[in-house]
Amino acid sequence: MSSRGGKQKKGNVTSEQEEEEQPLQAVLVADSFNRRFFPISKDQPRALLPLGNVAMIDYTLEFLTSTGVQETFVFCCWMSNKIKDHLLKSKWCRPTSPNVVHIITSDLYRSLGDVLRDVDAKNLVRNDFILVYGDVVSNIDVSQALQEHRHRRKVDKNISVMTMVFKESSPGHKTRCEEDDVIVAMDSKSKRVLHYQKTQGLKKLQFPMNIFQHGSDEFEIRHDLLDCHISICSPQVAELFTDNFDYQTRNDFVRGILVNEEILGNQIHLYVTQDGYGARVSNLQMYDSVSLDMVRRWVYPLTPEANFTDQQGQGCTHSRHNVYRGAEVSLGHGSQMEENVLIGRDTSIGANCHISNSVIGNNCTIGDNVVLDRAHMWNNVHVSSNVEIHQSVVCDGAVVKEAVRLNKQCVLAYNVVIGPNLSLPEGTVVSMHHPEEEEEDDDDEFLSDDQEVGHSKDKTRQKAFNPAEVGPEGKGYIWKASMNDTEDEELAQCLWGLVLNPDPESDSESEASEESQDRSRSVSPEIDDVNAFQLEVLGTLQRGLEENIVCDNLVLEINSLKYAYNITLKEVMQILTRVVLEYPFQQQGTQLTTLQYTGSLLPLLKTWSPVFKNYIKRAQDHLDCLSAVEELFLEQDTHQTAMVKVLMKMYQLEILEEEAILKWFSTGATNDKSRQLRKNQGVRLGQICVWGKPSQNVKGYQFGHCGSLILLLQKETTLLIFSDGVQRKQTPCSQCHKKESCGMV
Amino acid sequence: MPGADKETDLTERIEAFLADLKRGGSGTGPLRGSGEMARETTYLLRRITAQARWSSAGDLMEIIRNEGRRMTAAQPSETTVGNMVRRVLKIIREEYARSRGSSEETEQQESLHKLLTAGELSEENFRQHFVHLKANVIEAINELLTELDGTTDNIAMQALEHIHSNEVIMTVGRSRTVEAFLKDAARKRKFHVIVAECAPFCQGHEMATGLSKVGIETTVIADAAIFAVMSRVNKVIIGTQTVLANGGLRAVNGTHSVALAARHHSTPLIICAPMFKLSPQFPNEEDTFHKFVSPHEVLPFTAGSTLIENLFQCFILLRLFTKVSVTPEVINALSV
Repeated sequence: MSSRGGKQKKGNVTSEQEEEEQPLQAVLVADSFNRRFFPISKDQPRALLPLGNVAMIDYTLEFLTSTGVQETFVFCCWMSNKIKDHLLKSKWCRPTSPNVVHIITSDLYRSLGDVLRDVDAKNLVRNDFILVYGDVVSNIDVSQALQEHRHRRKVDKNISVMTMVFKESSPGHKTRCEEDDVIVAMDSKSKRVLHYQKTQGLKKLQFPMNIFQHGSDEFEIRHDLLDCHISICSPQVAELFTDNFDYQTRNDFVRGILVNEEILGNQIHLYVTQDGYGARVSNLQMYDSVSLDMVRRWVYPLTPEANFTDQQGQGCTHSRHNVYRGAEVSLGHGSQMEENVLIGRDTSIGANCHISNSVIGNNCTIGDNVVLDRAHMWNNVHVSSNVEIHQSVVCDGAVVKEAVRLNKQCVLAYNVVIGPNLSLPEGTVVSMHHPEEEEEDDDDEFLSDDQEVGHSKDKTRQKAFNPAEVGPEGKGYIWKASMNDTEDEELAQCLWGLVLNPDPESDSESEASEESQDRSRSVSPEIDDVNAFQLEVLGTLQRGLEENIVCDNLVLEINSLKYAYNITLKEVMQILTRVVLEYPFQQQGTQLTTLQYTGSLLPLLKTWSPVFKNYIKRAQDHLDCLSAVEELFLEQDTHQTAMVKVLMKMYQLEILEEEAILKWFSTGATNDKSRQLRKNQGVRLGQICVWGKPSQNVKGYQFGHCGSLILLLQKETTLLIFSDGVQRKQTPCSQCHKKESCGMV
Repeated sequence: MPGADKETDLTERIEAFLADLKRGGSGTGPLRGSGEMARETTYLLRRITAQARWSSAGDLMEIIRNEGRRMTAAQPSETTVGNMVRRVLKIIREEYARSRGSSEETEQQESLHKLLTAGELSEENFRQHFVHLKANVIEAINELLTELDGTTDNIAMQALEHIHSNEVIMTVGRSRTVEAFLKDAARKRKFHVIVAECAPFCQGHEMATGLSKVGIETTVIADAAIFAVMSRVNKVIIGTQTVLANGGLRAVNGTHSVALAARHHSTPLIICAPMFKLSPQFPNEEDTFHKFVSPHEVLPFTAGSTLIENLFQCFILLRLFTKVSVTPEVINALSV
């Protein structure tokens, strides 16, 4: 018998019950819900951007079809018409296609959550389905994962709701998207996910203790995984998204499931594959590496020469060194195609060109003496002679004039003209759309009259191309990389991913906040909770200041936040202290002088003293509060002198007690830095005591042998403050008495 | 309408077959030999003959030619598909000629003369309608299928003529035909087989286990050792993917080195290839003769990180089949 027949037979035997009643379904989200590709995706939705001269969505559909999916729901939002047109023309919508594609469009989708809620509302899925994005490129055989998933669901009665597919790859691999880097703790036997966290460049990671206290005796903590963004979901996933209307992304969902695991009893599992290839094109960095991987045949059999989309004239030949040539390609005299080059049909290349690791689309013309390295050119691009392009994307219809040099990570969006005689600096983005018009038609891009307004503006601005930026004959506007001024979204918005240097400020902050948790707790809830709580507290205080809310109400709000994020009282206090002390930095930037800082902080302290008093009651609270203060000032080296003023103010406002301050001061410092801090501030602390009690004037101070602070009072007496906070007049410690070296004056 | 139903069913099957071809063909994925590929193609062509709409042999040939073109384009490295299409076309021509009453011999006798005198009557000739043509063609295709089923056994039957007692025989990788050939000989003779493992896919390991199970003394060697061992070998017996029109081979990676070593040591080289592997193609289109797959087997994806890419800029091309440029002079016997 033929093997085809054999295969079918086998399939029938193994999974007769499940497979025959229901076809395998998939949900394909053809929208990224972010603006990572922005000036490019303004003209073309991301799913239709060409990768190796084939739209990305075709790779995803081919992947789904080859895994045996028989029904796919494609959800589109941004530019849904274009996606629809593309799909209707493609082989997927032919009546003979084994994979029936339904296209569902709506302008109301704003996130993955919305899509899945709609899936639930329309009751589209009846069985386990595969969830992917429209920009996933993969050749992984998911059937194994699917089988495991089904088996688990049969055994455990629907406890497992999702199986995520990951691929093994070493950290720092080029195809790993740094933003998606995750660290996963899982049960080695059951492959259950216990902890899931994005690393985002953090150096220290926290794992809650309770994940290791479950029954199983083998755990794996893995960082060598590449998220393929392919997940096998049970129908419950859609329901869960409906129940939890605040879930927006898969991340929210995973975290929500893990946190509520005990309550809801849902579990998430992992499938790790070693062979096969799977990656999501989530930024241009990824675009670059996935495109190269494809040309290097990692995604076999989805190779350029396979022409899996069945389009006329798309075919090309493959020859040594991974050089692919489409039909009617002409190559000038002396031109070299070094390696990993894909050239689309009807493209002509001039003489003495040097091309390596590049993809060139259909109908392009390239002049003489051109150097292309890691260039990604789409269709109808014109490149004149003597041009150099390094690791850049050149979109449809762009024209690069003579002697232009594109340095790394440049982007020329649709129909841009550049040059002649120009060198674009690294990371330049040029688009025909003016950067400012983006904000205007941001929300109303679907209203036609608004579009017209935008167009007319476009016309008026047409003259305003800056010849210094785009060259004498250039057309286009430079998009600044740091255009987006939203503070924490900066990384998430730039086209090329994390390559633009990450903000060191935020980095150190998150690290430090972790450090504080490190010291204060043994078992901690999710770090993100703490961070979120901190942000919320900051917001609350800000609002309180702006709207003059009574402190009691602030306390009430903070209390409710405390429960919402499951934060201990101790943390509340520490975070509160930190937020208040950082408040001037938040408002006025980090370049404040110490004087300005104290000037703005002290009135704040006064305003919020009732809030503090509410939380700082027991002696231990005082110490905790002080350690929070200390930590903050250890970070802000330049402002250490302000510390004493802060402490004094807090003392005067009766937030902190004298004993507590002295006790904190004399308890052993944990490291050199804090010891230094205490030394420096010692004399001032002495002053605090004195300010507190005007009757006793201090002439000088000394450090006693036993770590006590010895204050020399006016009337020839000494005040000794011991590490336990006890003060004794007159009698220095007996050892200090004996030893002259003690340095008593 | 049942007719329309049939037609969509047929196109669906063709599409599925094409998609299958694109996703790998033989050698990768679902590991299939070209024998199965040939059978599958023939089954599909029989189905087309039975279900497609045609009234004359010309129509049918047009349909099969078109589908055949698509099939060969889908996986150019799979020459068996094209060969089977050609075989079926020939069957149709023969059956048509028989229906017209002219026997094969007369046709052939006339043909030289015809070629000289008449320009283009061949197309015209196939327009005539015959009631029994369909049944006859299907019958002939069925015969072809039985022939295909028997090929391996037919080749294996000749084993005793080639393999003598106490010989040392070398083979490369895994070929079903060679496996059957050796096993058949092992029933009567005692000999030693050396299998080159054929890295990186190491089909040779599979072959060796298969042979040792039936009690043949088997040794697996690394590909690098082929030349060193060749001096001890009495005969080399290998399989192939395609036998080209000039007598060259298109065979699994490593065959070339075996062939060269055999020539150097004047060791007889025997190729076991069934009829359907004989292709009318010449090895002049360099590109279509290699089949490149993912570099995964040579270099794990995990290792393919920055280090390796930067240090070596190494080129990973995995060839499943290479063309053996050594032409007939190396090949001593061809069992067909």
